[in-house]
Amino acid sequence: MKSECITIKAEGLSKSYGGVKAVDQLSFTVGQGQIFGLLGANGAGKSTTIECLLGTRSFEDGSVEILGLNPVKERRRLFERVGVQFQESAYQEKITVGELCEVTAALYPRPADYEKLLIQLGLSGKKKSNVSELSGGQRQRLFIVLAMTPDPEVVFLDELTTGLDAKARREVWHYLKGMKEKGLTILLTSHFMDEVETLCDKILILKKGHTVFYGAVEEAIEAGPGNNLEDAYLWFTDEEGNEYESL
Amino acid sequence: MKAFSTHLKIEGKLSLRGMDMIIFAIFMPIIAVIILGSVFGSRPAFDGAPYSFLAQSFGAVTTIAICAGGVMGLPLVISDYRQKKILKRMKVTPVHPGMILGVEAVIYTLYSVCSLFLVYWVAAIFFGYRFEGSWMSFLPAYFLVMLSMFSIGLMVGGLAPNTKTAGMIASILYFPMLIFSGATLPYEVMPPSLQTVADIMPLTQGIKLLKAMSLGLPAGDVMLPVIVMVSITVICTGVSIRCFRWE
Repeated sequence: MKSECITIKAEGLSKSYGGVKAVDQLSFTVGQGQIFGLLGANGAGKSTTIECLLGTRSFEDGSVEILGLNPVKERRRLFERVGVQFQESAYQEKITVGELCEVTAALYPRPADYEKLLIQLGLSGKKKSNVSELSGGQRQRLFIVLAMTPDPEVVFLDELTTGLDAKARREVWHYLKGMKEKGLTILLTSHFMDEVETLCDKILILKKGHTVFYGAVEEAIEAGPGNNLEDAYLWFTDEEGNEYESL
Repeated sequence: MKAFSTHLKIEGKLSLRGMDMIIFAIFMPIIAVIILGSVFGSRPAFDGAPYSFLAQSFGAVTTIAICAGGVMGLPLVISDYRQKKILKRMKVTPVHPGMILGVEAVIYTLYSVCSLFLVYWVAAIFFGYRFEGSWMSFLPAYFLVMLSMFSIGLMVGGLAPNTKTAGMIASILYFPMLIFSGATLPYEVMPPSLQTVADIMPLTQGIKLLKAMSLGLPAGDVMLPVIVMVSITVICTGVSIRCFRWE
C-alpha cells in the first residue's frame, strides 16, 4: 500500500447469524479523503459490515480501526469525530427538524453549524416542520445534515440517496465532493451505480458476505464485460447466474 | 452538561406535546382531590377520627402521577425509543444512550413533584386541608415510592420485546394498581377481601407509608411497607440492568 493516511481499516472481519455467515473474512482500507463505496444486493452484508465497523454489532473474528481507534473500546473519543447516517431513520415522534438538529448538535463538543448545513442541503425553510411530515427526499437530506453535524473527519452514509429525485441527488453529490476536497473521508453504500461511479475512488462488492471485488472503480469497469460500472457490478454479483433478491 | 440539558428541554417539550402525561399525571390527581373534597368534605375519616377523609386520602392521591409516569410513561418511552432505534443511534455518538433514559426519569420526576404541589395546593385552598405530618419524613417516603414505581417501569421497558407488549404490560400493571391500591378508590371503603388482594400490590404498601407520614401517625407499622418498597426497587433495578437491551 501507499503511505497514505489510513482512516478506516477492517481486517478479516467475520460475522455470522445462527451459523450462517453474513460477512466472511472482509478486509479493506480507506485512506483519508477517499470516498469508499460498499456495494452489493440487499442482504449481501452491507449494513452488517457498517454495524460491525461502528461497533453497534459484535463480530466473531477480525479487527476494526477507525482513525486509529477501536470503535468499541474508545467509543466516546471516536464518535466525537465520526458522523453516521443509518438506513432506518431514528427520530422521536412529533419532533421538529430544528429540534432534532439542536439535540444532535448538543451531543458533540465542537459541532458544525447546523443552520448552515440545512441551507447547504436545501432544508432552510423546514426548521419548524415535523420530521414525520417531510417527504422521503427531504428526510434523507436531513439525515445527511445530522451525519455532518459532528463536523466529522469520517462519515458513514448507508443508502445515501435512496428516495431522492434526480436534482437533489446531484446536489448531494456536489456537496459530498466539496467535503471530500476538504479532507473528509466517506464510506457509503448505494444501489445506484452512476452515483458510485461519480463519487467513489474505491469500491468493495459483496455477495452473500464474500468480497467479489475490491479496488478502484476503473479496475472494476475494466474487469467487467461492458464499459460502465453497472455492467461490471452485475457481472461480479451475478457470476453464477441467478439471484435477484427482492426488497 | 449540555447534552443532558438540551435533551431535557426538548424531550420535555415533546412530552408536553404528547398531552397524555398532562392528563394522567396533572389533571387526574386534581380531579381526584376535587371529587374527594366535594363528596366527603371535611367529614372525619371514620367516626371519632382526628383527621378528615380527604386528609386520609392525600398520600394516596399524590401517587397517581408517580404511577402514571413510572408504570405507564417510562416503560412506553423506553420501548418506543428502542424500537425506533433512537437508543442505537446514540451509540454512535460520544454520549451514552443511558443519558436519554436519565432525561426521561427526570421528566417524570418533575411531573410527579408538580402534581404533588398542585394536589396539596388544591386540597389546602379549596377544601381546608392541613398537612399534619412532617414533610421531612413524608418527602423521603414519597421519593422511595417514586423510586420503586420507576424501577418497575424500567424493568417493563427493558424486558418487553416491543412497544405493543410494553403497552400491554403497562396497562395490566397500571389500571389495577391505580384503582385497587387506594390511589383513586379509597382503600378504607373497600371490603376486607378486596383489601387483602390490594395488599399484594406494591403501591398499596407505598400508600400506607405515605398515609402514615402525611397524617403524622406513629411510625409503628411502616417497616413492612419500607421493606416492600426497597426490595421492589432493588429487584426491578437489578433485573432491568441485567436484561437491558439497547436495540
